[in-house]
Amino acid sequence: MTVKEFKLPDVGEGVAEGELVSWQVSPGDTVSEGDIVAEVETDKALVEVPSRYDGTVQELFAEEGDIVPVGDVIISFEVADADEGDAAAEAPDTEGEPGDSVDDAKTDTEEAAAAETPEGRVFAPPSARKLARELGVDITEVEGTGPGGRISDADVRAHAESAEAHDETAAETAVTPGESEAPAEPTGAGVSETVSADAGPRAERDTTLAVPATRALAEELGVDIHAVPTEKTRDGEAFVEEADVRAFAERAAEPAAEAGAEAEAGAEAATAEPAREETVPYRGVRRTIGEQMATSKYTAPHVTHHDTAEIDQLVETREELKGTAEEKGIRLTYMAFVLKAVVAGLKEYPILNSELDEEEGVIRLKNYYNIGIAVATDAGLMVPVVENVDEKGLLELADEVQELATKARERSISPQEMQGGTFTITNFGAFGGEYATPIINYPETSILGLGAIEQRPVVDDGEVEAAHTLPLSLAIDHRVIDGAEAAKFTNTVKEYLAEPTKLLL
Amino acid sequence: MVVGDVTTGTEVLVIGAGPGGYVAAIRAAQNGLDTTLVDRDGYGGTCLNYGCIPSKALISATDVAHDARNATEMGVHADPVIHTDEMQEWKDGVVDQLTGGVEKLCKANGVNLMQGEATFVDDSTARIAHGGEGQGSESIDFEHAIVATGSRPIQVPGFEFEHDPIWSSRDALEVEEPPEKLLVVGAGYIGMELSTVFAKLGVDVTVVEMLDGIMPGYEDDVTRPVKKRADELGIEFNFGEAASDWEETEGGVVVTTEDEDGAEYTYDADKMLVAVGRQPISESLDPEAAGVEVDENGFIQTDDQARTNVDNIYAVGDVAGEPMLAHKASKEGIVAAEVIAGEPAALDQQAIPAAVFTDPEIATVGMTEAEAEEAGFEPKIGQFPFRASGRALSTGESEGFVRLVAEQEAGFILGAQIVGPEASELIAECALAIEMGATLEDVASTVHTHPTLAEAVMEAAENANDEAIHTLNR
Repeated sequence: MTVKEFKLPDVGEGVAEGELVSWQVSPGDTVSEGDIVAEVETDKALVEVPSRYDGTVQELFAEEGDIVPVGDVIISFEVADADEGDAAAEAPDTEGEPGDSVDDAKTDTEEAAAAETPEGRVFAPPSARKLARELGVDITEVEGTGPGGRISDADVRAHAESAEAHDETAAETAVTPGESEAPAEPTGAGVSETVSADAGPRAERDTTLAVPATRALAEELGVDIHAVPTEKTRDGEAFVEEADVRAFAERAAEPAAEAGAEAEAGAEAATAEPAREETVPYRGVRRTIGEQMATSKYTAPHVTHHDTAEIDQLVETREELKGTAEEKGIRLTYMAFVLKAVVAGLKEYPILNSELDEEEGVIRLKNYYNIGIAVATDAGLMVPVVENVDEKGLLELADEVQELATKARERSISPQEMQGGTFTITNFGAFGGEYATPIINYPETSILGLGAIEQRPVVDDGEVEAAHTLPLSLAIDHRVIDGAEAAKFTNTVKEYLAEPTKLLL
Repeated sequence: MVVGDVTTGTEVLVIGAGPGGYVAAIRAAQNGLDTTLVDRDGYGGTCLNYGCIPSKALISATDVAHDARNATEMGVHADPVIHTDEMQEWKDGVVDQLTGGVEKLCKANGVNLMQGEATFVDDSTARIAHGGEGQGSESIDFEHAIVATGSRPIQVPGFEFEHDPIWSSRDALEVEEPPEKLLVVGAGYIGMELSTVFAKLGVDVTVVEMLDGIMPGYEDDVTRPVKKRADELGIEFNFGEAASDWEETEGGVVVTTEDEDGAEYTYDADKMLVAVGRQPISESLDPEAAGVEVDENGFIQTDDQARTNVDNIYAVGDVAGEPMLAHKASKEGIVAAEVIAGEPAALDQQAIPAAVFTDPEIATVGMTEAEAEEAGFEPKIGQFPFRASGRALSTGESEGFVRLVAEQEAGFILGAQIVGPEASELIAECALAIEMGATLEDVASTVHTHPTLAEAVMEAAENANDEAIHTLNR
């Protein structure tokens, strides 16, 4: 049996660290080469990390949520030597055996099975069945304690908790298969105790005496005052002073103790009222977006120009061409037309297809047209880039946009596919709305926002009538571009959208 | 973001505004989803426009007349005059109020309403053809779709509803002037409800049914009081015959039927009502374009989250299979909307109650005695006849009974069959008992108001435990 260590590989161009988002395996799991063991999020994308070995997971060296530098060991495997293959395969089997709790579990299931009525009919009120779904409990396995075995909410909760405890003990025993006589209490207490031992002594009291200032300090430092060890007492109750709190907090601040604090917080969360506030980590893609937005907004003085394109003809043209596109398996989208119109506009007003290089003191005008398209994904905004839009046909563009958007949403897009843009389009109208003030995808100098295509009243020859319109919001970097250029560019785009046949010229 | 398409988009497209669709749309909107509800016809679907509601309105109206006419025993002598046109007006008012209410509710909840017939283009786009000439059509992109297209009356080949003297249930509900003689084909629940309405309007009603009794699927003792009442109303039944041909005569029809030996019979009537069941509406939707599978009967198969074989497309109500009941559709609609919103919803109900508004009413929920046996239970039965109910007798309607089917050991209630006054209301308590996992003891120990019909449910539970006061325990 050999132990192999596995380091966080270089997951992408220029990426130095990643957030370990989730483990796909636990110690004791059998993995084959190529199986996904973890998901790591870099500032560019979410990457799945495959295993390089066939074997059994021995230990995980990072917690979910940790930031891990490339090259750090994150996981170790027990890998069978050629002649020990069988032993390795058997190793995971031991995980379920030791400990009383597992026996209990078996008895539970048997009893549940005995109480089970024909056809799996379960006697539980709808509220309990719903709770079971929420907790991921198979209601047919819950033992009911009500009359005749009727299942209550409490039974469902009890089942869910004992199942969790089993999982934890199973995981623990699996790490050290040799020490199977280790007590396996079906509670979560063992876990926090083990960890807090590293953090130094830890008290468990129901009442603690302290002056208000000490309590305030404990709160400020995020310390549970009942957990602070002390030998002083007042009136027979434990008495804690400021120094005790500080000492405890310092010990807890050591990296090894973090897990303990988290486990404690988790245990509290299970019993306490829901928090008035929640914290969501600001990192990964979210932080990258935030930093980009701040840089852009604070660097480039934004001006947004609003206008509306009347596009009845475009709506018709798209309808006409749609069938042809469908025959080729392509969904012809408005975006394809917008891309073409934008390129036409950029060719007339190249200043919008530019970048300001302050160091060199030059404005770089780009003679190529790589257009980014902002895509909302579950993880946040991504901007895949369609390259050389001027060289591509409508169908090709529609197809490529679709493909890039799908990749972005599935987070399988590569960092390269989000680089090298010269101009960006954001289609906030997909969610409704008319106008917005988009933030430029810095260091580009302009961005075009599209509102929702809808029929709106327009005036034609003194008469109000309904027409399909597309609201346009063009934000520009006023250091480089002036309002007049923005307006002229928008007029050109409008023209091409209003008379799409012009795109043929 | 639906990148690449700036056309109309919606998170949830609900197709069909009946009790499955409008309920799904409202719940989806309540869950913060951008929801569009499209229907080619009126809000409320068959239920509100051509089914449950108008039929119940006519049943109640004709009951009033019938009861007035038959209250001499109570010392009331009356000879009511029926103005069918006014009855229709009143019924239409009820329908308008309800459908208007549905529309308002949808709007108030932020559901986008759209009129037109939806057809799938693919699994994320539908085409909406607007009704009326020159109204055109439009495309709508959706992330999720809920198909709630409902069902329509089955047309028997040769007896299409386009022929003037041949009525569907929908035609029958809109009649302004009742015919003198009506032939009803089909003695299922729709045939029986409408036969009763027309008999109470003074129409000479004859029913032909291919099977050998009324309302197959219900136990004999449950349908017996209904058959008995129908006989008393003068409805003539001919079982074991199927309509095979018809011919228009001056102001009426001659209908030929055939029994299984090939013997032919003819019936004269002014109109004939064909009520042989309902079939799902799915073909006009072009489900194949979205990859949605449809079975040989036109039903869309769904799982316990109302999801079709296509992940983002759901089907609810009649189009998703039997039983074709409005409340089943609504439940499925709610589940579909919640699943889309990411909630752990599922169709986990133990039983779906069903009611037939015949005279007297029939209502059932859960298992019959035979079904319980088949499922492996040793059933325990409790029954209470309405003739032993003070309230039933004091309303002048004491036909029928309440029967509870329970599991032997703990007495968990598995099912209930009720035939008698207000059966449709009484069944709700039984459904609650089943869903809650209540036992006979629980129901028997719950104090019920006296004098009410609901006491019969309590008495039936007591009877099953051999503890009944007002009947002899068997």
